[in-house]
Amino acid sequence: MSVISKSAPVNTKATTQCSTDMFTRIVKFSPRFLLALLILPVLGGLISVLLPAFGYAPVLEQTTFSLQGFNALWQTPGLTQMVTLSVATGLISTLLAFIITLMILAAFFNSPWLNRIQRLLSPILVIPHAAAAIAVGFLIAPSGMISRLASPWLSGWELAPNGMFPHDSFGISIILGLTLKELPFLLLMALGVLAQPELGKKLRQQHKVALNLGYCPMTAFFKVILPSLYPLLRLPLLAVLAYASASVEMPLILGPNTPPTLAVAIMHWFNDVDLNLRIKASAGALLQLAVTGGLLALWLGAEKAVKVLFSDSLTNGVREYGGFYWQKITVVLTALVISFIMLSLIGLVMWSVAGFWRFPDAMPEQFTLLHFKSALMQMGSPLFNTLAIGLVTTLFAIILTLLCLESEQLSDKPISRFTSLIIYLPLLVPSIAFLFGLVWIQQLINNQAAFFNVVLTHLLFVLPYVFLSLASSYRRLDPRFAHVAASLGAAPCKVFFKVKLPQLFAPILIAAALGLAISFGQYLPTLLAGGGRIATITTEAVTLANGASRRTSAVYAIMQMALPLIGFILAWVLPKYFFKSARA
Amino acid sequence: MFAIKFWQTLARYSFCCVAFCVCAIANLAVFSSIAFANTVINSNSKSNLVINTQQGSRWQQVQTLGRNQDVYFYAWGGDAQINAYIQWAAQQVKTKYNINLVHVKLSDTSEAVSRVLAEKSANNNNQGSVDLIWINGANFATMSEHSLLLKQWANKLPYFALTDPANNPAVTFDFGLPTNGMEAPWGQASLTFYYDSIAINGKANNKLPTTLNELLNWSAQNPGRFSYPKPPDFLGMSFLKYALVVLHQQSSENIKAQLNQPATALNTAQVLNPLWDFLDKLHPTLWRGGTHFMQSGAQMRRLVDDTELSLAFTFSAPEVPAAVKRYDLPNSIRSYAMSDGSLSNTHFVAIPYNASHQQSAQLVANFLLSPEAQAQKQKAHIWGDKSVLIQSTLTPDQQALFKTAKPHPSALPLNSIKRTLSEPHPSWVNAIMQGWQTCYGVSQ
Repeated sequence: MSVISKSAPVNTKATTQCSTDMFTRIVKFSPRFLLALLILPVLGGLISVLLPAFGYAPVLEQTTFSLQGFNALWQTPGLTQMVTLSVATGLISTLLAFIITLMILAAFFNSPWLNRIQRLLSPILVIPHAAAAIAVGFLIAPSGMISRLASPWLSGWELAPNGMFPHDSFGISIILGLTLKELPFLLLMALGVLAQPELGKKLRQQHKVALNLGYCPMTAFFKVILPSLYPLLRLPLLAVLAYASASVEMPLILGPNTPPTLAVAIMHWFNDVDLNLRIKASAGALLQLAVTGGLLALWLGAEKAVKVLFSDSLTNGVREYGGFYWQKITVVLTALVISFIMLSLIGLVMWSVAGFWRFPDAMPEQFTLLHFKSALMQMGSPLFNTLAIGLVTTLFAIILTLLCLESEQLSDKPISRFTSLIIYLPLLVPSIAFLFGLVWIQQLINNQAAFFNVVLTHLLFVLPYVFLSLASSYRRLDPRFAHVAASLGAAPCKVFFKVKLPQLFAPILIAAALGLAISFGQYLPTLLAGGGRIATITTEAVTLANGASRRTSAVYAIMQMALPLIGFILAWVLPKYFFKSARA
Repeated sequence: MFAIKFWQTLARYSFCCVAFCVCAIANLAVFSSIAFANTVINSNSKSNLVINTQQGSRWQQVQTLGRNQDVYFYAWGGDAQINAYIQWAAQQVKTKYNINLVHVKLSDTSEAVSRVLAEKSANNNNQGSVDLIWINGANFATMSEHSLLLKQWANKLPYFALTDPANNPAVTFDFGLPTNGMEAPWGQASLTFYYDSIAINGKANNKLPTTLNELLNWSAQNPGRFSYPKPPDFLGMSFLKYALVVLHQQSSENIKAQLNQPATALNTAQVLNPLWDFLDKLHPTLWRGGTHFMQSGAQMRRLVDDTELSLAFTFSAPEVPAAVKRYDLPNSIRSYAMSDGSLSNTHFVAIPYNASHQQSAQLVANFLLSPEAQAQKQKAHIWGDKSVLIQSTLTPDQQALFKTAKPHPSALPLNSIKRTLSEPHPSWVNAIMQGWQTCYGVSQ
């Protein structure tokens, strides 16, 4: 003991002064760094798309501002159909996912089924959009699992029938795919909100009071819990809506092509051999921005309208709205959703090991590992790229997030609403609108460092999710530990590393697994920022999804799903062995 | 106590210092050895350069400058067999020249064209990311028009002479446009049809169509069993060109000659109207009623496996038996060629003007043209793509490399292609595409 008191004073005065300043300086700077990292690429990308849209494209020797891009755009055949398709698929899929989420929550609120459904659906969350689209495509095709199960005993089909799905011109396949993919996300966001200790407890108590007053469980949910729950779900909903209206992977794999959705058409124009189409594509990107912005405004307006229209029914005292039947309907709907998801996954697995599998058969004639073997031989480099990019991006995202959250606690005020909104910015702005511009800037600055460019672009999409995931756990840390440690003489960086981080080991691993899953699933950012030189499992999967071999694309889809699962298994297993004593 | 603590601290700090020094020395050693090796290589190549410029041999210069580098080969990656062949070629050039061939898989060659154009606009004139590109037809026409390709290199490759360029216009003209040494030939393709022999069983109204007219009648009697990929997909355009050439087989010489001329506002309507009339009759009988067309030929093959389609076509005849062997097509599939003619063309590899590794790319292109590589490529179980080398220019040893084994039952029988049709002028591709988009691009 005396040794410490003798040697420590000599050092602490000088070194702790410097180390505190350094660490605290870094921490205090990090929210601004985060903001810069999120705003600059997105805004820079948007501006770089704005200029060509108005005709300024030195690439094509056009340096006068003109409206020719927009003229060409208005004259595109089928433009209204493209926009209608984008709007309809985005809006309907988000609405459907939202309503089914609410119904599941309402019907199973006090039942143990909610936990079981949560555990069933959580792995679905990390399936990338491309893999989900491939799986849904297998399900609803005329020769898909549903037809095979019903043929030939029920339908009499010996050859695959003339069907409508996928690629139907109403976009129903896209809606189906998007709904099945977004439903677990919204459900888990809502359950995450309800799992917060004070809010969740308060809401459950209010629900119990409502039940005691005679309300049926579903009505109690809608009248009592939803008004408090909704504001916390608003941002995830808007993110889902923005993604659904501007996504590229789902409509590319499941959607029609006469004409396709607006985002897919823009991507084709940007990639077209005729380089003058780039101006039209930039104008189209602005149109997409307007469409998505309009949808977001529509949603917010509808929210206000619903609030006004239903404010009476909140207090009209009606206890029953046919809750019994709605409950049964919800049970049927949930069973349907889960069975769809399970069936498409089973189909996926069977295709990956299938030999010959002619149409009406429900099982393949032979099973073979040939597809896995040949795919794994080709997969070495994409796999390495996927893992490397994912790990670097996630590491960086976690460090930055932890520093920002620490700055909240060091400066003793929460990060501003502006920062919280900006964190959602890359999710709300359609990626097709700013990614092309961002790529152009990256090429101007640094052409050869494709890896760095891809990591930077992935970071934009990984940061919001990692931040969301870590923020709640970080803010829930008991501040008294930090106070006691500080009062014992520990510097802020020591408090951070030795007191806060060990307590956060499990949440950090979960956030890391989530960040990895998001990074593994990115398609457009990898394709554009890497200039096609960086192949990841997802880019390969999308290329092969519309390719010739269902079996190979099934193998890639399974790899896409397996990678994030490994991350989550690690996140589940490791906290059991490390830092056990630190967990609260 | 103080003394012990002092020695402990000193020991800890000394250990850290020693560890740091060891690491630093190790790093310095590694980096300096790499730098030394690089300077040795550079000085070797520089000294070789001095020697060779004295000797004046251009190809040896290319060989020395091209060794020990990376080549980024941008090529369509939608076929596992082709990807595997490119991996084999990569291993070969690694052994021969220590070149690292990286296959950048594209879903469409236009992606690479866009890339080179973006680099040209960013004034990147010698650090391009694309070193070698698999290309022909409209993409070649675009790159050539925008001066995006390196000129006069392909005709100087040692193995180019084996393609007999003086008597073989197929290797010096790409869709009617002269290549000007901008691209080296790689392989040849002809339009082949394949069908499910269980679905098309030869009974009444279900006989195999062998001409365009028979195809129309068969499709009318068996609706929803045939379709073609959506233009501007290469295979879809090829089907439309095949239909166009066949429909004009009975036309006057004057109109037939227009197909080899550029498409202009004057002759477009006259030449293309028969095609639109034919398609108006064909579309209602197609898969999905002609309201939706699959995006690519690969998707078409998948639909045959799904038994949604009973008849399809491809440019690469060996892809069919290869797919059957991989279980991607049922074993009831058979291939054949239309009796009124098969559209044929050559595909090439080209080097962008700003490629970072021009000499290495030329070495790779030369290897791809070698008898070993061409024979390997022609093997049915590897890729089956027809070689561009003329047998009469090869030595007997080289000819022996091309001997074939017993064919697969689903493969195209030897000498099935009785008639070849040559490609029309590339400007017709655009004309057909514009017209198709206007008539059928948006489903009503």
